[in-house]
Amino acid sequence: MTGCLSDRALARVQVELASDDERAHLASCAGCARRARRLRVDLELVTRVLSDTPEPRPRTADLRRRWMPAAFGLSAAALALLLWVEVAVWRAVTPPATMQPQEVAAILSDVSASLFSLSGTPAGGGSATGASGEADETPQTLEAMAQELDNTLTGGEP
Amino acid sequence: MEVNERARENRQSDVEPSRSADTLVAAHRGRLQRLCRLLLGDVQEAEDVVQDVFLKAHEAARSGLAPMDWGAWLTRVAVNACHDRRRAGGWMRLRFWSAPVEDVPLAAEGLGPGEIALGAETRRRIWQAFRALPRRQQEVFALRYIEEQSTSQVAAALGLSTGSVKRHLYRAIRHLRGALGDAS
Repeated sequence: MTGCLSDRALARVQVELASDDERAHLASCAGCARRARRLRVDLELVTRVLSDTPEPRPRTADLRRRWMPAAFGLSAAALALLLWVEVAVWRAVTPPATMQPQEVAAILSDVSASLFSLSGTPAGGGSATGASGEADETPQTLEAMAQELDNTLTGGEP
Repeated sequence: MEVNERARENRQSDVEPSRSADTLVAAHRGRLQRLCRLLLGDVQEAEDVVQDVFLKAHEAARSGLAPMDWGAWLTRVAVNACHDRRRAGGWMRLRFWSAPVEDVPLAAEGLGPGEIALGAETRRRIWQAFRALPRRQQEVFALRYIEEQSTSQVAAALGLSTGSVKRHLYRAIRHLRGALGDAS
């Protein structure tokens, strides 16, 4: 075997996974023996730290760094969910715009005719169904409406 | 009368630890606590697990299932209990996150001059590297180097082959050495 052992080979020696050639080289090479001793010293240090010292707590900055992305992600997801619910509710409550403008105008016309009727019958303006007679369709003049009002008040006397 | 006395003795043996149980606890409690603390990273959790382990040992002894090697048996039960705790313990991280700052122990608490001289950064790196290891590598390293068990004892405790133990150990050493290399 030529050349010194790599760090991997030294680790293999440490855990008894090394080949015969690697072990033989280690026995004859002072440099590799020194590096192998260094590895053992490092492992003793690791062992001492793990068995004798308390585990340091993660620093607040580390924790914040770890949790901030998750917090932002959750907030964004919650916001999106809220928006989706809001839109869904708004769509469910709003009635569909299926009425034609002409129908709306006819209904408004009927309503206004009922409101301003003096005799109990619709006072012109037409009907949405078109079932009224021709008299209904002729608009009343102001004089006729005044006359009708007088008749009502005086009981029909001249 | 004799029957009554025997029955009373049996009842007492159900609730009171025998002298051999005391010996068992005295012999293994310290090392099991250290092992569980290392695997769980929490002193209180480690204490709970050790209590459970000795309870199981008591039950095993009572039911006539005492193992030949109590040390290996206790180690195996403790490692499995730590494994279960860690698998079910996601809430621990949450609890740790919410720990008030006055509850967090100081890094240099209870350290001797040697440990302080070691350097806080080196210690932090070593612990961080150990925690970054896969669970099995942590267990193998802890049993082999902290508990100073032989490869075959580790294999028996974890139910692995010796070759598998060596491979886990090799990867763990490479990783931990890398952390030390970064520190120096």
